[in-house]
Amino acid sequence: MAEKVSNQSALAWFLQRISGILLAFFLITHLNVHHLFHNITAEGIINFHSVQENLTSSVWWKVYYMLFVPFVAFHAMNGIWQIMADFRLSPGATIFLKAIFWVVGLVLTAIGAMTLINLF
Amino acid sequence: MTSDSKLKDVVNDINLNKNIGNFTYWVHRLSGIGLAIYLIMHTYVLSSAISSPEAFSARMGQVQNPFFAVLEVLLVAGVFAHMLNGLRITLTDFFGWTRAHKALFWAAAVLFIILMVIAIILQWPKFSPGSYMAGGN
Repeated sequence: MAEKVSNQSALAWFLQRISGILLAFFLITHLNVHHLFHNITAEGIINFHSVQENLTSSVWWKVYYMLFVPFVAFHAMNGIWQIMADFRLSPGATIFLKAIFWVVGLVLTAIGAMTLINLF
Repeated sequence: MTSDSKLKDVVNDINLNKNIGNFTYWVHRLSGIGLAIYLIMHTYVLSSAISSPEAFSARMGQVQNPFFAVLEVLLVAGVFAHMLNGLRITLTDFFGWTRAHKALFWAAAVLFIILMVIAIILQWPKFSPGSYMAGGN
């Protein structure tokens, strides 16, 4: 008997690659601005006001981070789910873990959005 | 099949397939798990902005010192390794470049080393405790 094939797996595979390409752009920009090119001797340590100054310097930073947060949460949770799926879990474990990853992803997105709103 | 035998299968698979494809498969998964854990920790640190500006600045102060600067290099290494290998997988999948996957691996490896040298040079001032005393907002 042929094994039932779900389109969800193909969609998860495709979205993982699309979100990954977008995250390559997001992460290089984020790492450069807030990690690598931060001049510690001239600017001192990063604090609330320096981050706020940066985020409010352009509306595009708001758009950038509001897209970055859900994409990175999705990519992380979907990625771990795909590692789990390699072990061919039982249907019960599959539903349980999918629910857990969706909840964690949505909570991360919500906390990220609330953090950004306080920094904007 | 028990979880114990699944683990044995994984170890056997690694031992039997010592090649670039299997190596990058595990590097991608392990770096991915590490980055997902970091994402949760990063969100926790930054979420202090929800409490107050003072709470955010205080917590950010706790994670900016030479020790965390070295950890930051490991983070950057994980990000670049995962990113370059992910792009290699995507190119292979979308354009059917399976036969070129080894060449793509070596191209990604060279790019990884170049990016890490640049990252360490940029990060260098943060390895000194004295750097944190100057400047500031």
